[in-house]
Amino acid sequence: MFTHGEILSVLEMLRSEHLDLRTVTLGINLLDCASDDLGRFRERIYDRITSTARNLVAVCDQVGEKYGIPVVNKRISVSPIAVVAAPFGPEEMVAIAGTLDRAARDINVDFLGGFSALVEKGTARGDRALIDALPEALASTERVCASVNVATTRAGINMDAVLLMGRQIKAASGLTADRDGIGCAKLGVFANIPEDVPFMAGAYLGVGERDEVINVGVSGPGVVKKAIDRLLKDDPDADLGRITELIKRTAYKVTRAGELIGREVAEVLGIPFGVVDLSLAPTPNVGDSVGEIFQSLGLRGIGVPGTTAALAMLNDAVKKGGAFASSHVGGLSGAFIPVSEDLNISRSVENGCLSLEKLEAMTSVCSVGLDMVAVPGDTTAETLAAIIADEMAIGVINRKTTAARLIPVPGKKAGERASFGGLLGESVIMQVNNAAGDTPFIRRGGLIPAPIHSLTN
Amino acid sequence: MLGKKFVISVLGEDRPGIIAAVTRVLHEQGCNIEEVSQTILQNQFSCFFIVAGPPEGTPAGLVGALKDKTPEFGLLFQAREVGAGTVGPRECGGEPFVVTTRGPDRKGLVAGITCVFAEYRVNVAQLRAVFRGGDDPGDNIMIYEVDVPVDADQKELRKALSLRARELDLEISIQHKNIFEAMNRVI
Repeated sequence: MFTHGEILSVLEMLRSEHLDLRTVTLGINLLDCASDDLGRFRERIYDRITSTARNLVAVCDQVGEKYGIPVVNKRISVSPIAVVAAPFGPEEMVAIAGTLDRAARDINVDFLGGFSALVEKGTARGDRALIDALPEALASTERVCASVNVATTRAGINMDAVLLMGRQIKAASGLTADRDGIGCAKLGVFANIPEDVPFMAGAYLGVGERDEVINVGVSGPGVVKKAIDRLLKDDPDADLGRITELIKRTAYKVTRAGELIGREVAEVLGIPFGVVDLSLAPTPNVGDSVGEIFQSLGLRGIGVPGTTAALAMLNDAVKKGGAFASSHVGGLSGAFIPVSEDLNISRSVENGCLSLEKLEAMTSVCSVGLDMVAVPGDTTAETLAAIIADEMAIGVINRKTTAARLIPVPGKKAGERASFGGLLGESVIMQVNNAAGDTPFIRRGGLIPAPIHSLTN
Repeated sequence: MLGKKFVISVLGEDRPGIIAAVTRVLHEQGCNIEEVSQTILQNQFSCFFIVAGPPEGTPAGLVGALKDKTPEFGLLFQAREVGAGTVGPRECGGEPFVVTTRGPDRKGLVAGITCVFAEYRVNVAQLRAVFRGGDDPGDNIMIYEVDVPVDADQKELRKALSLRARELDLEISIQHKNIFEAMNRVI
């Protein structure tokens, strides 16, 4: 028998705190679809994806209804296409992206990730073909997400790839200029990318993974915020120790709900369960924001002094609660701070609380990085690459995942608005230091060696 | 030798000492308490006992003894003998769900929802409802813990409950019990 409080607290999270399961992501291994015949390859990957995932959406809806907690997004991640489709050139890679898009549409998932390459130590032929194909592939597809891992703590930073990515981001933005450069919103550049991320744009199925796996991404910034608000209403003098304990307990609840639903989806589909990603993932809705948590904690807005400390505290408490709730935690697991996808964070940019430099500092204590950051359209490829390099360095030195999802908005300047629609949201374009200036450092290329603490054996 | 089983109900205005007085009498009558459930609604005390009694015991005899020896509490007693083998742990014949409603207070809410349960052979295992009156949905809540038969058409049941809730101006949620276990209990 449950107490009133136990039942009503769950209902309150659902009714007014935006509790949901942010994503169920089905990982599908495509390695055995490999072929040097493009037609056969495309047919094989289409058949593999659509046959494996044909019931995914229906089962997620059915299980979500059973527990009264909706599964908001149903997604697919596949083996890195640069590996699976290594024999092909850039044009063929674009055609493959088209096949992935068609498969995603036909099974009605909102995104498919894995148009990806892993180039932290060097760029192989397949990797180069995929990277060359990125602008066209992103512009010509709707649901395909891409990621390129350019750095790891064990390998260092591939600066040639970093510069290349700066150029490709610029090109992808140009090809989608009529939609504020939205092509770039589906592309993440990573350091230390995990093999089991369920969230986009970084989701792909690592080569060390099995044939199929269900990974889930929980949510809950609104739940955490409301819990803090309630505590501070009852006890306005509550100290940070009590607040972190509360965040930890709240993260526990959210994680348990996510794992329960994810495991049942996996069981019904007959697919092994993988991991729960404990990230606090916001949406552009009021009450579903990571930024609002900072105001509840007593900061004028996300970005003012104190923000990094608050974020470190929040991120750690979420991990501790989640780690107690589940033994199978993976992916990114931390608080996301995607600028355009979080209404409160984009407002902080607008009212001057949050700068790109502060955002970068914040990414040293949370997942994932400079996420959904709109920058002026005249930002050069070299400056984009330099921003990426800084972000990669934070990941490499701190042995954590970092990423950059930068969107140069064609024809627009800092302070103007960019709109990407739906969950991708909208944002004021951030000021970039040296946006159009020269950066010879980035052109030097080569590999920034792995840090000394990579020598752990 | 204990040979009979009785179900005994006790109702009255709540005050300290009721359970002590009632259980002392049951002990004096040679009864062994097997299960007891007690609750208080507003200021009203209610309690059910299942007891094993002596072979010569009768429901009337037990009620008489309880009335005679607890006059100061003004309690209402009922007792019934139950046959051997007819009382035992309740069998759970279905999937456990929690159905919760909120909405403005009006007459017929419990009847309106439970007749849908009856139609779909859904058994109510626990019911708690608080109606403080008025239009604040948070003041008027029903929580049913129910067993839905395995062979019941869950989609149709959900549809029927949602329809009835709309007719009654109620917000309804129908959730498998495991979600509450998962989120609230460590083990």
